[in-house]
Amino acid sequence: QTAGWVQCEELCQQFPHGITDQVIQNDMPHLEPQQRAMAINKLLSLGQLDLLRNSSGLLYRMKDMQSTSKMKGSDNQEKLVYQIIEDAGNKGIWSRDIRFKSNLPLTEINKILKNLESKKLIKAVKSVAASKKKVYMLYNLQPDRSVTGGAWYSDQDFESEFVEVLNQQCFKFLQSKAEAARDSKQSPMVQRNSSFATSHEVWKYICELGISKVDLSMDDIETILNTLIYDGKVEMTVIAAKEGTVGSVDGQMKLYRGVNPVIQPTGVVRTPCGLCPVFEDCHEGGEISPSNCIYMTEWLDF
Amino acid sequence: MTAQEVRLCGLLLQEHFGEVVAKVGTHLLKSGAQNLRTIIHETGISLDLVKKSLCVLVQHGTCVFSSGRKAPGSPTEYRTSCDRILRILRYPRYIYTAKTLYGDTGELIIEELLQRGDMTMSSTVKTVADRLTQNMEEGRSMDYSEVSSAFSKLVETHFLQRSTPATPAIPGTPAAPVSTAPPTPESFPDCYRVPHVTLIGRGKRRLSNEDGEDQRNAKKTKMDSETHGDEGIYWQVNFERFHLHFRDQAIISAVANKLDQTSSEIVRTMLRMSEVTTSPTATCTKPLSANEIFRSLPSSYNIPRPILDQYLTLLVDDPMEFVGKAGESGGGMYVVNLHKALANLARATLESVVQERFGSRSARIFRLLLRKRHLEQKQVEDFAMIPAKEAKDMLYTLLSQNLVQLQEIPKTPDYAPSRTFYLYTVNQLPTARMLLQNCYKTVANLIERRLFESKESKNKRTFSTGDIIESSFWSVGVTILTIVLFPCRLDSAENQVDETIFLLESYVNSTATS
Repeated sequence: QTAGWVQCEELCQQFPHGITDQVIQNDMPHLEPQQRAMAINKLLSLGQLDLLRNSSGLLYRMKDMQSTSKMKGSDNQEKLVYQIIEDAGNKGIWSRDIRFKSNLPLTEINKILKNLESKKLIKAVKSVAASKKKVYMLYNLQPDRSVTGGAWYSDQDFESEFVEVLNQQCFKFLQSKAEAARDSKQSPMVQRNSSFATSHEVWKYICELGISKVDLSMDDIETILNTLIYDGKVEMTVIAAKEGTVGSVDGQMKLYRGVNPVIQPTGVVRTPCGLCPVFEDCHEGGEISPSNCIYMTEWLDF
Repeated sequence: MTAQEVRLCGLLLQEHFGEVVAKVGTHLLKSGAQNLRTIIHETGISLDLVKKSLCVLVQHGTCVFSSGRKAPGSPTEYRTSCDRILRILRYPRYIYTAKTLYGDTGELIIEELLQRGDMTMSSTVKTVADRLTQNMEEGRSMDYSEVSSAFSKLVETHFLQRSTPATPAIPGTPAAPVSTAPPTPESFPDCYRVPHVTLIGRGKRRLSNEDGEDQRNAKKTKMDSETHGDEGIYWQVNFERFHLHFRDQAIISAVANKLDQTSSEIVRTMLRMSEVTTSPTATCTKPLSANEIFRSLPSSYNIPRPILDQYLTLLVDDPMEFVGKAGESGGGMYVVNLHKALANLARATLESVVQERFGSRSARIFRLLLRKRHLEQKQVEDFAMIPAKEAKDMLYTLLSQNLVQLQEIPKTPDYAPSRTFYLYTVNQLPTARMLLQNCYKTVANLIERRLFESKESKNKRTFSTGDIIESSFWSVGVTILTIVLFPCRLDSAENQVDETIFLLESYVNSTATS
C-alpha cells in the first residue's frame, strides 16, 4: 500500500503534464479504486500534487519544485489559495471567486491574502471595469489589458490630457502633410494622394516624438485618428495593399488626411439667441424677454 | 404653421405694412380661409380698413382669394400662408443679388417690384429711370432703353415672371372645387415673355424740394397718364429662381472651402450649364459630359483637358459626393448631386450649432452619433475617448435639448431597465426642423429688440440744441449708437440668421420631394 503512492509519485514525475485516473489504473491494475484515491490524497496532503480538471476528468500533476519550496512554512489552506490565484493567470481573480473555489470562510481568505501579500507572493490590482473591485494575481505577473484599461488608463484614471495631446499631435502631422502637398503645386491627383498618411506613418511619427511613456500600438493610434474624424478635422479611406507592405493589415491600409470645414460657423450662432441657455424660457412680456435680455445688451455693447 | 412662424410673420407684416395689416394678416394665418364679413367680425376692425389691408396683402401675393367653399355664389374667401410672408425677411438678399448680377439698374428694378408687389413693365422702367437719374450728376439722365434691357434680361433669366392674371369671382357662377390649387405663374405659357412696349424717353429728375412722401404720390398719379402697349400685364419677382441661385452659391462656396478654387469653378460651370435644364425639385442636374464642361469653362481658367478629368475624379471621390459620375460616354458623364449637397450642408449647420453652443467634445459625440447611427453609452465613451463621467454629462445635456434621442430596445417584453438596450441616436431631419423653428424665434427676438431699441431712442431723440451742448460728449455718442448702430447690428444679425434659415428650409423641402 505504501508503494501505491510512491508509484503514483513516480508516474507523475514521468508525465510532468499530469496524469489521469485512467493512467494510474493502467499502470497499477491491481490497485483498488479506494486505494488509488488514498494514494492521491496522500500526495495531495504532502503538497506534491496539483489537482486539475480538464474536459475529460480530473488530472493529477506534479508540483513545480520551486513553488513547493516557496510554500515551506505556509499551511495547506494558503497553498490552496495560492494555487487558485496562480491559475487565474494575468487576468487575476476576485476574492469572492477565491471563496467559491476553495470553500473557505471569508475571514480565513482575507487573513491568507494579507499573509501572501506581505510575503510578496501575490499583489492586488484595481480593475478598470469596476473601480471597487480588486483582483489578485501573482506578484511578478503583468496584468492583462482588460484589467488595466490599456494604454489610456494609468492607475484607474483615464488619461484625458494624454489623449488630448496625442490628438493634437496627430492632427498637426496630418495638417502639415496636407499643406506641403498643396504648396507642391503639382497636379491635383498627386496633391491629394501626397496629402494622405497611412496609420503606420502616423504611428511611427508619434513613437519618434517620444511623448508617450507607454508603448502605443498602431491600433491605439487608429483610435486617436478616429476621434479626429469625429472632430470633423480628418477623413479616412481604405486602400488595398499587397500582403507584406509595411503597415498593412489583412491586405488593407488605412489612409488619413486633414480636411477643411465645409462651412463657416452658421449665422444663427453669431447671435446671442443661438447660444442662449434660457432660450426656451424667453418670450415677450415674460421675465426673460428680448427687450430686457442681458445677453443682447452685452452683445450690443461689444 | 407653428406659433413661432405666426409670430415672426406678424412682426414682418407690422414692419412693412403697419399694425392694421399685421392684425388682419395674423388673424387669417391663425384662422384659415375666411370671408370678409367673418374677418371684420372677429378682428373688430372697420370694413374700410380690412378692405385696404386685404388689398395690400393681395397686391403683394401674400393673400389669395377664391370663391367660397360652402356653396356656389357664397362670398369670396381669403387665405394667407406663412411661406410667402416669411420671404419678406429675405428681401435684402434678393436686392443685393440683383445688384451683383445686373448692377444698380437690376437692384432698383427688384427693389421697386418688392415694394409694390407687382407692376407693369412700363411703370417699373419709368420709376427706376427716374430714381437712377436722381443719383446721377447734374445734366445727365438714364435712358428708358437701358432700363428696359435690364428688365428684359431679368425676365429671360426667369428672375421676374408675370403675375397670374386675376380671374374675378363672378357671383352666380359655380365655385371652383377647393381641391384645385390656385394656378401658378408657370402654368401660363407667356410667363416669361417680354411684351412689346413702346417706351421712349429718359428718366426725369425730380425737383429738390420734394421729399420721399411726394415721390410716392407722384408715382401713383403718373401711372394713368400714358399707355405703352402692356396694360394689364403685371410682373412680380420670382422668388424660387432666386432661391435656386442661392442654393447654387451655397454649393459652390462649400466646394471652395472643402477642396479649392478651381474645383469650385468647375462646379459653378456645371451649375450654370444646368440652370435651364434642371427642374427646381430635381435631385441632381442632368448629366453633362466632360467634353461639354471643358468647352464651357471660363476662358480665364486655362486647365488642360487631362487635369480637368483629374479634378472631376477628385470631386466624385470626395466623401461629400458633391459630384457624381453618371456614365462613361463623352469622356465621362457627370452630375451635381443637389439634394445630397443640401443634406451635407444641413448636417454641417447642425454640427456647427452643437459645437458653438456646447463645445468641441459635445460636437465630437454629435458627429459620432451621426456617423454610427445607434450607440450605447459605453460605446460613445470608447469611440469618442471621453471619460465616462463627462461623456454621460454631455449626452444628457444634448438629450435634454432634444438634439440627441434615446432608443429603447428591450430584450424582454417587460421593458425592464436592466434587460433593455438604451441606444443614443441622432435623426437629422427632425433635428433640422427643430433648429429651423429656433431660427424663426431668434429672428423674431431680434426684431422685437430692434423695435424696443428704436422706441427707447425715440424717447431720447427729441432733444434741443441746448441739451446737446449741456450733455456730455459720451452720452450723445451713446444715443447716436442706439439710434444708428444697434439697429444696424440687429438688422445684419437678422440677415445672418436668414442664411441659416435658407439652408435648413431648402434641406427640409428637398426631403419632401425626394
